[in-house]
Amino acid sequence: MAFEAKFFKARFWAECPAKFETRLKRTIITVLLFLGLAGLCGVRAVGGPSASASQADAAQESWRTEFYNICGKTEDAMTFSQEELTDLIRRCDSLQPQIEKLDESRKKVYLERLRKCRGLYAYVLDAKRKEKK
Amino acid sequence: MPTSSMQKGKKRNESGLLLLVLACEVLLLAHSASAQIYLPQRAPEPSEYGKVILDNYTGAEPGSVVFDHWLHRSMFTCRVCHVDVGFAMQAKATGINAKTNREGFHCGACHDGKRVFEGKTIFAACSDAFNSNDRRCDRCHSLGKKGVRKYGYKEFTAKFPKGIYGVNWEEAEKSRIIKPVDFVEGLSVKTAKMQNRKDFSVEAAYPWVEPIDFSHEKHAIWNGCELCHPEIFPTAQKGTMRFSMFSNIEGKYCGACHGKVAFPLNNCQACHPRGPLWAP
Repeated sequence: MAFEAKFFKARFWAECPAKFETRLKRTIITVLLFLGLAGLCGVRAVGGPSASASQADAAQESWRTEFYNICGKTEDAMTFSQEELTDLIRRCDSLQPQIEKLDESRKKVYLERLRKCRGLYAYVLDAKRKEKK
Repeated sequence: MPTSSMQKGKKRNESGLLLLVLACEVLLLAHSASAQIYLPQRAPEPSEYGKVILDNYTGAEPGSVVFDHWLHRSMFTCRVCHVDVGFAMQAKATGINAKTNREGFHCGACHDGKRVFEGKTIFAACSDAFNSNDRRCDRCHSLGKKGVRKYGYKEFTAKFPKGIYGVNWEEAEKSRIIKPVDFVEGLSVKTAKMQNRKDFSVEAAYPWVEPIDFSHEKHAIWNGCELCHPEIFPTAQKGTMRFSMFSNIEGKYCGACHGKVAFPLNNCQACHPRGPLWAP
């Protein structure tokens, strides 16, 4: 008995690691693949954004945030220094090419709004410069 | 003989007088013609005042749009529509069409069938497929169609305070009968409360014209800053802008709104408080 037990134990330890390693690898890969697939399907099923869509959303969000940050201050235009006004005008100018890339309707509306808001900052800056003279 | 020379002289005098009278008449006519050009035009009925016809596609279905300023100005500030929504101040400069409306711009910014105003859902402007049986189109595309408009001026403004010419909008707002909204979700930018703008008096270009009392605050509340500056009033330097009633009548400066939508230019005392009440 003792001999048999010893024999089996030795055989087990001799064969097991290789078998176990392959099986474990296979299981892990299968589980990961399954989880990945399920995750992908799940996200699609609940309407989650794909990577490219979320990138596009982020790009859109960035111009909008910048637009609102710039043009949301028009009512305080008179309180800004010449440097601040110059910076706002510069930001308007760098935002314009981004808005020009938008679809026709959006471009029409937001370019007009940007033009108005830039015009006001330029107007106030001009007034302040003349006042200083 | 002396009689004939006297007669000749008399004839010469008569023809001279005739020439003088003719010259005076020509001058008078020329003057009145120019005066005709430079007098504010007689204001139409208040219900017709500020009416805009959008006829980009003359004759095409579903017909031209009739836009009444009096209806919308009772609910929104000028700034919301002319700055945030992007309606230009000049005719045909906005580039409005059914597509922009459908995409949620211009009229579609509010008229989207979802937005709720004063407890009512605002009807959607311009459906995808035009159907001539769709009476909804007629609410805006109403030129020449009778009984299709939902609101009539008389009934709608019945409770509003009246002035020398139609509704006294300033008084209506002061008494809180109207509360023009200055923010449209998704379009307007939340801003800090505007600091009070100083009111000031403007000397008239001619000594016989009374000075103008200009309320910067009132104008800034309804219009914001960028609606007037720099497009309508391009410089802040005192004395550099030479504007007059002539330029106003031509639609420049104050005339960009007054004489079209805001109270008419005939309402002298509204700007010149010590001036005449009303010029017909």
